[in-house]
Amino acid sequence: MILFTVLFASLVAPAWADGGDRERQFRERVRAVIEHHARSDSGYAAVAARLALKRDAAWASRQLRQLLKEPTGDMFWMFPVTAIAYLDHGQLSPEARQALRESWRTYMPYRGDTENHWLLYYTCLYLMSQLYPNQPGETWYTGKSSAENQKEAEEWIRHWMDLTTTIGQGEYDCTHYLGVYALPLSYLYAWSNDPDLRERARKMLDWVIADYAVENLNGIYAGAHARTDDVQVLEKWRGVSSDLGWLWFGLGYPLPGYSAYGFFYAVASAYLPPELIHRIATDRSRPYLHREQKRTRHRWRFTDIRNAPVFKTTYVTKDYVVGSDQGGVLQPVQQHSWDVTWDVEDPRGVQNTIFSLHPYSSTYELQMYFTPMPDFLIESVVRSKKSYDSPDKFLGGSPYEEVTQELDTIIALYQIPPGTRFPHINGFFSKDLRDLREDASGWIFARGGRTYLAYRPLAPYEWRPLREGGKRLFSPYLKNGTIVQAAAQDEFRSFDEFCDKIRNLPLQVRLDPVPSVRFRTLRGKEMNVSYGAGRPVSNGRLFEGPFLNSLVGSKRLTLTHGGEQMVLDLR
Amino acid sequence: MSIALIALWFASPLFAQHRLYTTGITSKGWVVGTKLQPSGLFLRMGKGWHRLGFLHPQIQTLDYDPRDPRRIYLAAGNGCIRSDDGGKSWRILTGWEMTELQDVSVDRNQPDHVWIALPDGVAVSRDAGKSWSRVNLGVARRFIQSIRVDRSQPGRVLAGGELGVLISEDAGASWNRSSPELRLVTHLEQSPHDAKRWLATTQEQGAYQSTDGGRSWQPLPGVPKGTLYNASFDPHGENRMALAGWGVGVVVSEDGGKSWRDGAQGLPSRAVWRAVFDPDQAGALWVSVHEEAAFLSPDAGRSWRRAGLEGSILYDFIFVPETAP
Repeated sequence: MILFTVLFASLVAPAWADGGDRERQFRERVRAVIEHHARSDSGYAAVAARLALKRDAAWASRQLRQLLKEPTGDMFWMFPVTAIAYLDHGQLSPEARQALRESWRTYMPYRGDTENHWLLYYTCLYLMSQLYPNQPGETWYTGKSSAENQKEAEEWIRHWMDLTTTIGQGEYDCTHYLGVYALPLSYLYAWSNDPDLRERARKMLDWVIADYAVENLNGIYAGAHARTDDVQVLEKWRGVSSDLGWLWFGLGYPLPGYSAYGFFYAVASAYLPPELIHRIATDRSRPYLHREQKRTRHRWRFTDIRNAPVFKTTYVTKDYVVGSDQGGVLQPVQQHSWDVTWDVEDPRGVQNTIFSLHPYSSTYELQMYFTPMPDFLIESVVRSKKSYDSPDKFLGGSPYEEVTQELDTIIALYQIPPGTRFPHINGFFSKDLRDLREDASGWIFARGGRTYLAYRPLAPYEWRPLREGGKRLFSPYLKNGTIVQAAAQDEFRSFDEFCDKIRNLPLQVRLDPVPSVRFRTLRGKEMNVSYGAGRPVSNGRLFEGPFLNSLVGSKRLTLTHGGEQMVLDLR
Repeated sequence: MSIALIALWFASPLFAQHRLYTTGITSKGWVVGTKLQPSGLFLRMGKGWHRLGFLHPQIQTLDYDPRDPRRIYLAAGNGCIRSDDGGKSWRILTGWEMTELQDVSVDRNQPDHVWIALPDGVAVSRDAGKSWSRVNLGVARRFIQSIRVDRSQPGRVLAGGELGVLISEDAGASWNRSSPELRLVTHLEQSPHDAKRWLATTQEQGAYQSTDGGRSWQPLPGVPKGTLYNASFDPHGENRMALAGWGVGVVVSEDGGKSWRDGAQGLPSRAVWRAVFDPDQAGALWVSVHEEAAFLSPDAGRSWRRAGLEGSILYDFIFVPETAP
């Protein structure tokens, strides 16, 4: 039977670009990114690009000395400067090289407070200490010797790898921060002198890239995210992840000007992911269900559990992706718990998604995840995360939301305590939806790309216009909920047929004493869900699906496609 | 020289016996990764402030080695940092396991013992920062905001955090909670007049006083609602103390905490991060007003003048002896 499956898979598998073409096309994209930054006339990336191309070292030296007169940016300063140090190869003037080295004595980057900050910080400290070995503490901002710096950095990097491959990534599946994980791993793979660390970095790159590959839709990172932002949560393409999806796999479209993360990835290892991951990223010939376990960011207060488990479910088709986590506050800011993302030919400028949320913000939540005193916390977050304290927002988790998913059906239930700030539900209805109908049955029907959508609000609502088009479903009821069913256009003779089928699905809704739904989905699954009826528990799997499989605690990820298998073993 | 003249000499800032440090951030417009305005460690010089060491956005406070007060320990975001020259040069003492320090306290009776408050517990160095070990607090909720070593007894440590006040009488080997369960103890302060007397401030649950060395705690009456950030005893007056907080501003008691008067009249807002009495000027009180400046009152909060560091949040004012006793 296994033999038959393998044989069958090989017969029906798409005709992949052969290895040579794939490699050549990847190198062309890498070259395009580097050339683009080499045309810039200022900034660290421009310096690094010229050094990578061995072009105009005199200009690069002058520019670097100018930039280093006033270092700023903490760990975001460290990564371009580290790349420049490694791309130098004798091209920089002695004065510029000395200025670079000196800046690591005179400027103390802040280590930051998140996993992405730390991976950048410690990777760069590791590599710079490696580049300048046997130097005393007086020559480093840390006051520690090269050996001490390198040991500390390596310990944390290995610790992070262990944590990620046993209980999951903390800042998981981020549309922006994917770049901040790929970049330092690219550096370590390219420049670490330690063969073991270099090999582990390569495996972690494969791990992180595969994690993205399995949940991307034509380059767009779909499903639930630990973090995204106000723009990317609506215009799903506009993330660094899209830039990298284009770079790695030729999928979709790069960001305008190519992101710095893609660029520095390219000038470091320019690592081409294995063919197997390429296939996982691009094969949407059959729908599949994929599950993951991740972990929350460090929780400092109000809980006994430092990193609680996050359970993700993602259903992927060629036309759309339905993805979710279990709801609740899993991250302090920028969490995105669920949506349907649909495919469009050109996603640039398109808001190709639908979802709802309870717009929650609180000092309690921020104190759980951040260490400062309480009263200034919300304002300090809002300074960089503009919508955090807005009742109109479409971003963030809520402790009063519980999400359940069966294939391409989602039920989100809300029970908001009286007195909660922002006591309402926001549903996002994109400007790019077509044929939107408010049906007498209570369903709202619409089309997005080649996807048919049925959205059922569980409480009365009204519409609020959105500045950039589309509208917000506003429902000021504390006991509330949303059901969403997605389906592909080509499953039906017409949109009307889809609407008819949805209308005829058995559905019972109660809002008292708690929101409850009994629903038979379009796929025939019985969903019987009540708010607070029980939280998900781990089934012991970090990844589970047709392509990626891993056991919690195993440090092993098995990748499978078309009868071929690859194991990433980080034990 | 008459007694009055001697008193005047000691009270005059011209003959200050302490260096005044403050720690904080010029925070307006700053988020991680953007250009940082003067921030970190500052030393009062004349009527201005001189920044020392590196720019750093998160230095909460410092403590010093009583044998050599030029050796200071900073509680910083990047770890516990030691300077042996009064703040000019730094060495990070801790590694990746300890981050975002909230407080630091040097045991006055065994100054190589340095205690730090962490978002996930307490750690101690018994060799002046060369090595560190975590102590087992015996509780799952380990957010510790404030730590103090009792100056009257080596190895007697009080830690204020998420659950209340924890005390160890045996150098961290065992801990007991001595206060009621509180949402967050934000600061602990030992009276300079009576080593048995302590104050604890809390998040939205008022202030507490102990008169038995921290073994039991009683709420102070009449304290305004809001988050209290710290308490300060006036070294020049046994019964004078101040509380600072967000929304509270500054309140001052002249009767040992029985009653409180508003000390925030004349300040630009009541979002106050710190209030600390000056040991070198009788009645002088320093406060940090949120993103405004440092302010100095010569008369225990009855009048105020701006005292530099415009636009800042100052987490603490710390007076360090000029010389070892």
